[in-house]
Amino acid sequence: MASTVKYLRVPPNSASLEEARRRVFDFFKTACRSIPTIMEIYTIDDVVTPSQLRSIVASEIRKNAHISNPKVIDMLLFKGTEELNNIVEHSKQRHHILGQYVLGRPEITPDSATKDQGSEYLKNFFRSNYF
Amino acid sequence: MASFTASSVSISSAFCSFNRTQQGSNLRKVSVSFSGKSFPSQRLPFPRFRISCAAKPDTVNKVVEIVKKQLALPDDRQVSGDSKFQVLGADSLDTVEIVMGLEEEFGICVEEESAQSITTVQEAADLIEELLEKK
Repeated sequence: MASTVKYLRVPPNSASLEEARRRVFDFFKTACRSIPTIMEIYTIDDVVTPSQLRSIVASEIRKNAHISNPKVIDMLLFKGTEELNNIVEHSKQRHHILGQYVLGRPEITPDSATKDQGSEYLKNFFRSNYF
Repeated sequence: MASFTASSVSISSAFCSFNRTQQGSNLRKVSVSFSGKSFPSQRLPFPRFRISCAAKPDTVNKVVEIVKKQLALPDDRQVSGDSKFQVLGADSLDTVEIVMGLEEEFGICVEEESAQSITTVQEAADLIEELLEKK
């Protein structure tokens, strides 16, 4: 468990955007370094490669790249660390990992499951609640 | 069972090419999955005890290859030793990701301060050579 970060006490808020950025990179490095462990625990080595997992983690981080408030970044990092801890502690199962992170990404699983049916309304409905 | 046979196939293919530095981790994989695929009782540390060959002379080429794959550059794009990552279209997260890819590829561990200072391909290759020598 040397590579997981345990937030037993909440660290003080980031003073500046720069410090928040550094924390994001530290979190990303911790996640990348625990990728081999994750692949062993859930035996997903025949589904994804480590570099694909790395790019998945990076894309998740990039989803929030537009945030500029350091406190919001801290909160997101907290949630991310919690998620990473859950995964590494084997609190999840293989189908959680695959469903949440691997499937549905066009680079990894070509979208063969979605047949071209349904109207525009249905497509929007499947995508999100609000449209 | 299927994954055991799959990993045994990958073992046999790994033995064919001794250059692969992932050989050590492949062996470890088999021993873990053979024990009934129960989750391992102790976490394996970040694999440092790899069976790696002598340092390859074309480190820069490998770095270039990893950078190209990471940034999804077309094959005819010229990436030389002194191309900066920023120029190639990488933002800071991409740079960290490239460093992580290099860490995995070469089995090294890049320290925090040195990672911040990497801006060009040549610097990355130099750092890798230095770390490989120290091992």
